[in-house]
Amino acid sequence: MTITMRSVASKQTNGKIKRLSTEELAELMVPATARTPEEKDAALKRATTGLRAKVRVTRDMYRPR
Amino acid sequence: MRPTGERRPVPRGVFAIEDQQLLLPDPIALDTSFVVEALLTTQPLHPACSAFLKRIFDSGVAVVTSDLLAIELAESAFAIALKERWGGRWRGHRTDGRSRRPATWRLNDTVTRYEALLSPVNHLPIPVRRVTADARVLMADYGIASYDAVHAASAIAAGAEAIVTLDTGFALLPANQLMMYTDRSRLTSCRPKRPH
Repeated sequence: MTITMRSVASKQTNGKIKRLSTEELAELMVPATARTPEEKDAALKRATTGLRAKVRVTRDMYRPR
Repeated sequence: MRPTGERRPVPRGVFAIEDQQLLLPDPIALDTSFVVEALLTTQPLHPACSAFLKRIFDSGVAVVTSDLLAIELAESAFAIALKERWGGRWRGHRTDGRSRRPATWRLNDTVTRYEALLSPVNHLPIPVRRVTADARVLMADYGIASYDAVHAASAIAAGAEAIVTLDTGFALLPANQLMMYTDRSRLTSCRPKRPH
């Protein structure tokens, strides 16, 4: 069983980073479409199997330092 | 065997994704480096990252990403195809039509898999424009690189307490801003970088 914990809404960020409001987060949220364990397993398999590369992917291939 | 009295390392908000006791905050943020490793079976940390992804799915926590992630993922797919064809000279062949076709095919395949990856979770994609000013604050305060700052600011703005990443650059942020979930081989290099 996986244990989860709720974020503490009042976590400090030196007052500098603006937290998005509950309404803003609700507006951005894209709900899950795969909900059953079978659908989740199928999605995981589709995402994480079969994609191969002949080269090793390194950070400099997608993000400048 | 550990000598008696030896101190255990201070975590400083950096934890290993291989640790089965690791708590998953809700929401949790993902960085591109983790997603690349989870998607590509040929990457060295694919087993650990895909296993952690399964833990995220099973737990039901929401996932935060910056919109930048999808762009970086597309860029990595494009770069793979070019590098496979041209090796070290790949950067000079972006506009070559013969190279772009397989690159585009790989890009589309990768994006489809990324969409599959997100389908079991409630997803919070954070637009870059919502965190531009916050990213600047993180850069100014901690010296974190710009693209890392966008991912970190997105996580913090959405209320994520941890970001899953294989990028040691995030260790420049203090632990009270954002915890780092990374693979265990990076723990010893990340923890000393954390500011007090």
